[in-house]
Amino acid sequence: MTIFLKKFGTTLTGRQFGKESFSAFLPSLKRVKNDEMVEIDFEGVITFTPSWGDEFLSPLLNRFKNKLVLKNTENPSVQATLKMLEKVHNTKFKLSEKK
Amino acid sequence: MNSELITIGQASKMIGVSMQTLRRWDDAGKLSSVRRTKTGYRYYKKEDIENYNVKDLFKLAKIWIADNLGFEPRQDFYCSDSSVFQARLSKMENELGKIKELNAIFPLITAIAGEIGNNSFDHNLGNWPDIPGIFFAYNLDKKNIVLADRGQGILTTLRNIEPKLINHQDALYVAFTKIISGRSPESRGNGLKFVRDIVMHNKINLFFQTGDAYLEIKKRNSDLDVKKANVDFRGCLAVIKF
Repeated sequence: MTIFLKKFGTTLTGRQFGKESFSAFLPSLKRVKNDEMVEIDFEGVITFTPSWGDEFLSPLLNRFKNKLVLKNTENPSVQATLKMLEKVHNTKFKLSEKK
Repeated sequence: MNSELITIGQASKMIGVSMQTLRRWDDAGKLSSVRRTKTGYRYYKKEDIENYNVKDLFKLAKIWIADNLGFEPRQDFYCSDSSVFQARLSKMENELGKIKELNAIFPLITAIAGEIGNNSFDHNLGNWPDIPGIFFAYNLDKKNIVLADRGQGILTTLRNIEPKLINHQDALYVAFTKIISGRSPESRGNGLKFVRDIVMHNKINLFFQTGDAYLEIKKRNSDLDVKKANVDFRGCLAVIKF
């Protein structure tokens, strides 16, 4: 499954908004099959912050662990946020290989 | 059209100039009042005050945050809830994105303004002492963004997870340096550590005050020097310059 973050908006900030986005998407996660990879695509996202990211990405990371892969993470606010979330959760996000 | 009248005192707070200055401007025709015949007191049309181009946003925010009783700021500088802030932040992002020289860093500027503003909502929701929401204003010509809240302040909210904190200086230091893992008893996004990291690596300056403690961070400034301020207020006040 690929989750296109721009479908939630291009300015992804705030815990409240992050929680709402995750809750809204939760039913769709039921479609993820065992062993299926979950890809998060950041394409089109302009501003991304740790507060939104912690509410949306952290539960996905807890649930899918190494089956969670991130894509199109070049935006500087995406890079800075991922760096912070990695520190907070003492982990390393898996990035999808460029083709 | 808003034809509501406000007192000279209210007008003074809303645009951050003294009543004496307003009287002088009135006499000079720079910003005219509406005089009521019976009392002779000067009143202003609220729309004239709301449309006045404020030059010093920092001064205005300081007046707002330090006011004893509290009042709602001008509507264009006031985000009463996080959805209003979200919409205005997106607008600012869009305007910043049009400035060529900021091409590489405008998402970072928006991100730090977003974290500071959202911090105010996240830590005060349901607990605002008087005026709910935040002051959020920016001037793209002067390249600054000002955010303020009349919330509980960092010391009070951080004590929920760091009960031993005793003063604003220590609380401010912890907020900007210590990574807090885990989620209970309070969700914290580590947003101010993120803000510091971005400011330290980019051509951005930050001033941040809570209570009687303030700090200034700029590029390559890795030491965090928290100082004691002369003015003490509840809540948080931040200025981002880029």
